[in-house]
Amino acid sequence: MNKTLLGYVPDRSPIYAIHPFVKLFFLLVVSLFPLFIAAPEWNFGLIIFVLLLMWYSRINMGIMRIYVPVAISMASIIFLAYVILGGYHPEYAQIGQLLAIRVYWERIRDAIVVYFRILPMIVMMVFFLNTSRERDVIVAMRTLRIPFVITYVFAMALRSAGMVIEDFGIVRQAEQARGFDTHGKSLPYRLRKYVMYMIPLFALSLRRAEEFSNALIARGFAFTGPASKIKRADFILTHYHFRRLDALLTAIIGLAFVALLVLRYGFGWFTLSRSVFLPWLETLLRHR
Amino acid sequence: MATARARSKLTTDQIWATAPGEKRQVGVIHIVITALLIGIGFVVGAFGSISFPLGFGVNFFWTGIAVQQVGPIWFGIWGVIAGTIFPFFSNAIAGTPFYVSAAYIPANLIQALLPAFAFRFFKADIRLNSGRDFAILIGAMVVSSALGAMWSVLVVLRSFGLLTTNSIPLFLWGWFGGNVLAGLVFNIILLKALSPVVIRSTAFVKRWLA
Repeated sequence: MNKTLLGYVPDRSPIYAIHPFVKLFFLLVVSLFPLFIAAPEWNFGLIIFVLLLMWYSRINMGIMRIYVPVAISMASIIFLAYVILGGYHPEYAQIGQLLAIRVYWERIRDAIVVYFRILPMIVMMVFFLNTSRERDVIVAMRTLRIPFVITYVFAMALRSAGMVIEDFGIVRQAEQARGFDTHGKSLPYRLRKYVMYMIPLFALSLRRAEEFSNALIARGFAFTGPASKIKRADFILTHYHFRRLDALLTAIIGLAFVALLVLRYGFGWFTLSRSVFLPWLETLLRHR
Repeated sequence: MATARARSKLTTDQIWATAPGEKRQVGVIHIVITALLIGIGFVVGAFGSISFPLGFGVNFFWTGIAVQQVGPIWFGIWGVIAGTIFPFFSNAIAGTPFYVSAAYIPANLIQALLPAFAFRFFKADIRLNSGRDFAILIGAMVVSSALGAMWSVLVVLRSFGLLTTNSIPLFLWGWFGGNVLAGLVFNIILLKALSPVVIRSTAFVKRWLA
């Protein structure tokens, strides 16, 4: 198994046949798709497509359980923002009333459109985090010729996040061993006491910063001055080759985006007026 | 040892002033501290984003504010860089779309930059020894969070079409209150508890770069 940024993926996953740059390119470009698509069924199709990619990549689909509360809370917030706090609009078609709140079809429609724009972007991010290892992100950045120092900071940040999680566990256990327990206490109390974890975490990081920098200096690393001008061998890139398949996938993703823009602005596709789902839902809600 | 003892007795003016002959320059430690702050912010910020979500990366109680505002006060531009970048990652983990997180960058930059600027401009004591130091910290927190909230809600969320006019106040207050409240809980304690240690460390930044 390979540990990715969010979970584990089997060694033999087909996703590892693809260059890390393609995955980053996929995230950056395909995340833009929902912004140009209003019809919810198309965005729903995009979600299904990315979920299928996840399944094909042999990602443990159980990881999606973490995001179910996010999806529910997002739906509640959008519903609250659009339907409950939607305001008084006599020009809209009222389809019901919740206590003193008028429920308009146009507000429900907009809430659905927004929700289905956000969901594919989240699923895309989950796909990327699930299939990318720290090393993949570094390779993608070096392939894009991002300066060494930025790549290094990024790599160290990713690594230190893992260390902070470990430190957090150690600090928590150490404090529990000394009788500190927040179980059964009120939320404000627990929040206030959260600082009991923050102070050791910061203190540990300060100490670690000194250790890291000493280790780096001892190995001849420098980010400024003449020593930083020496051309570095990109060892990690020697393990990755940008093959024809990668070029083909990059071209397909790029062309798909161009096609989307042409269809959207040239032929009016993906708009609300072309939606099949929304008129059906409107009929259903108005005639219930 | 004598130097360490002398540093612990520094006056407010001495904290920010460079001694005659003292040479301060960017070192490896500053790059390292940037990376470590991003790492801490990643974890601490994600905790806040997952535990108290209002939606689209806006939280009722955002614990990441401690790293975002205390880091720059201690480590100058390196803390600002970390404070601007880490919410991007912590939001991503918590399920905020990539481009929405990217559009929050100016808000995060303001929130990270203003307290650091206020402390350096007014030569406040980072150990929070007087009422003036508290006033500067709280003032900077309030102003930066207000500006951050306005950018995020009025510019970002509105541009992405995620909010209606009527729901703007909820998100404005959510962002502002979530940051200020968490800042009041964490920033003060962190500055009081750890500033004397930070001042003694080589990572401490007196100006902006070193």
